[in-house]
Amino acid sequence: MESATVKTTAEKLAEKDGIAFYRINSNKFKTNRVDIFFLDCLERQRASANAIIPSVLKRGCKEFATQKELEARLEELYGASVDGSCNKKGETQIVSFHMSHIADSFTSGRDKLFDQCSQLLMCILKNPVVEDNGFKVSVFRQERDNLIDYIRSRINDKMRFSFFRCIEEMCSGEAFAIPDEGYEEDALLLTPQKTFAIYQEMIASYPCFVYMSGSIDDESAHRFIEQFSQITRTGIKRVEFPDTEKTVKEVKRVDESMNVNQGKLCLGFRTNIAPSSADYYPLVVYNGILGGDVHSKLFRNVREKASLAYFAQSILEKYKGLMLIMSGIEKENRDKAEEIILRQFEDVRKGKITREEMDATKKSLRTGIKAMQDSQGAIVDFFLSQHLTGDGEDFETIAEKLEAVTIDDVVRVAGKIRLDTIYFLKPDEAQPQADPQDEPQEGGF
Amino acid sequence: MDYKTITYERLGETLYEYDHPTGLKAFLVKKPGYNKKTALFATDYGSIDNVFKKSDAQVMHVPDGIAHFLEHKLFEQEDGNMLEKFSKLGSSPNAFTSFNQTAYYFTCTDLFDENFRMLLDYVQNPWITDENVEKEKGIIGQEIRMYEDSPGWRLFFNLLDCLYVNHPVKLDIAGTLESIAKINKELLYECYNAFYTPGNMVVVVCGDVEPEPVFTTVDNMIKSKDGGRPEKRYPEEPETLNMEYKEQKLRVSMPLFSMGIKDPVRLSGYDLLKRRTALGIILASIMGRSSELFNRLYYDGLINDSFRFDVAVDQSYGFVNWGGQSPDPQKAAGEIRGEIETTVERGIDPVVFERIKRSHEGVFIRTLNSPDIIAREVMDSYFNRTSYFDLSRVFEELEIDYTNSVLRSLFAKTAALSVINPV
Repeated sequence: MESATVKTTAEKLAEKDGIAFYRINSNKFKTNRVDIFFLDCLERQRASANAIIPSVLKRGCKEFATQKELEARLEELYGASVDGSCNKKGETQIVSFHMSHIADSFTSGRDKLFDQCSQLLMCILKNPVVEDNGFKVSVFRQERDNLIDYIRSRINDKMRFSFFRCIEEMCSGEAFAIPDEGYEEDALLLTPQKTFAIYQEMIASYPCFVYMSGSIDDESAHRFIEQFSQITRTGIKRVEFPDTEKTVKEVKRVDESMNVNQGKLCLGFRTNIAPSSADYYPLVVYNGILGGDVHSKLFRNVREKASLAYFAQSILEKYKGLMLIMSGIEKENRDKAEEIILRQFEDVRKGKITREEMDATKKSLRTGIKAMQDSQGAIVDFFLSQHLTGDGEDFETIAEKLEAVTIDDVVRVAGKIRLDTIYFLKPDEAQPQADPQDEPQEGGF
Repeated sequence: MDYKTITYERLGETLYEYDHPTGLKAFLVKKPGYNKKTALFATDYGSIDNVFKKSDAQVMHVPDGIAHFLEHKLFEQEDGNMLEKFSKLGSSPNAFTSFNQTAYYFTCTDLFDENFRMLLDYVQNPWITDENVEKEKGIIGQEIRMYEDSPGWRLFFNLLDCLYVNHPVKLDIAGTLESIAKINKELLYECYNAFYTPGNMVVVVCGDVEPEPVFTTVDNMIKSKDGGRPEKRYPEEPETLNMEYKEQKLRVSMPLFSMGIKDPVRLSGYDLLKRRTALGIILASIMGRSSELFNRLYYDGLINDSFRFDVAVDQSYGFVNWGGQSPDPQKAAGEIRGEIETTVERGIDPVVFERIKRSHEGVFIRTLNSPDIIAREVMDSYFNRTSYFDLSRVFEELEIDYTNSVLRSLFAKTAALSVINPV
């Protein structure tokens, strides 16, 4: 007896003063969670402050004044977790807070974990430790230093660094070039007071989405929503998505040297397709054919046929209309790799797409959409994405739209995509003495 | 069909277990309501198994990285690449090689049985040619080069080099450019024939599927093979460290440090689960986020959010390790050594012990949300002669006295320090 497939939906429970509350009910998971997202326009003046807010709030609240007390409390609550982070989707910066805990059925007592954990989350959000109209100075300074260290440590992961640099060069002068966590120079100019003022702005005026997932009854859900009623909300901001159309006059080439062993090649493209455009779904299929998975042209030609790389893939940035292709290669293979990559790009544009490539891509996307519904975090991310673009699609309608894409559709969108920037992180002549000795574990083919 | 059903009521999980006549074991963990189905086919053979005695009594010494190389090669078949065949069904295949295991798996949402048959078939039918071995050297070479630039991996393997004098756990899983150059078709087949025997393998399925058809497919697909389990040979490993400190310079923003202690106690079965759990609690009580030490070091800027600790204890090797970024690794290491010493003298506070035990039990229950994690853990536990779900019993039975005795015996030993400094 196979269980009937249950539709995954986000039920809107309330919307008030720019805060929308949703419940995603499911009893197959062993955890309940709450995700809160505050949205801001990605702007240099506030980017670093927005990035530091979750780190400062995580350090304690009125009820549990220190990190130590707070962490001990989370342990008592059966390893519950309360966390915060900051990232960008397109030119929107998102400050988010998350809570999760195991369901009451796994605990021995009469604990109402959802109430206790959500209170803790709200305490962090609403009642930070304040002195002199600002965040607590010692905590603020430590988290500002940590943010700066984090920004600097971008260099540690060479692929991530190359990806970041490619975007920075490609989008120079556009808001999207601002990193998720802002800039070091800006972080240094922040004070506990300035940051606290931006925190107050966030609480009062950033548009907000709240998702409750798991098996949460009406009463608990409403008790939780009630906790937002003491917040004074005013002058709710408008956050809009950027224009995704951009004419590329000339392909930009950036080479940077570093003393590393492997070179990293990163190609940035403009898709010229908006997230809510009808062409978005053909674009997703296009990306799958070009470099989405092991059946893709990039994987097969750069890795399997030419044996030049361990990985070669393309990914989309939905909201800004970008596509990036990445690969790790030997320095001397750079021209060859670039040529093979661009040939695949041209082939799709010319319609050289086999039935097999099309089928494998669609099936893989269909599997992905179904599998996403087995992860609470992925479900929340999916619905947030739909709510951000105002599409309000569900898993089934998206699966249908992807299914309906034809080869002609793919070729049409391929015609809109333009190469913008080629970035190469080039190994220095004098290479580091890494006595080769260590290795991969997960996810190797 | 003869299979066992074990229900773990408290966890809300059911495990089905089947013994194939060849000695192969098959498990199913049913996940009602899940779309995703995953199956894993694994051999008890990893990067540390470089010396072994075959059933014909011949002792083989093979090049480093060969288990991982073989993993790459199995995807190749006479009539094409397995990656593409799975793709045609819309499923995603993958594999991994760890110190002690090689596992092949796929995840799908539809056509489970077709995918499952393909998995069981290709792992039993290698197609290795001189030509495809040479081609793979380019790809694996780039995989090795990628890891040479990864500060986290370098840090970890330098720590293992400090901890181990002889044990091959210190060798890198993919080998080196030099060692993989020595790999050829004949050696790959030698290793394949020795370790890929049903008696040395396990099948784990997780998802919303029924036991009867799963085990019937196993029955139909497993071909009996000659040859028993090879005898693995590991060198004698002294209790002492290879070295106390190792340093390397790489392009990083601030120093990274990793410390570890080698565990000389070799266990398997329930006792192994119990020791692992106790070690996790000990580390959390000394340096977890609710500890005095973590908060002091964090407050003083000696560690940051990147700080982590981990327990890696298996039948044939074991160690605990911890670390992260620090502007002054020596100072951070000194503070941590001091706190360990104090804790060894005093023992763990009983209140803290109960609180962390409860928290770790919660973390264990969370893992049951993920079919991928379940499949891996069930496999790993089977090869270590225990059951992942028995962790539930460990959390019920684990006592502070036992935990303190583990603390006193292991944490009195010297911890090694590995550091990556900025160029």
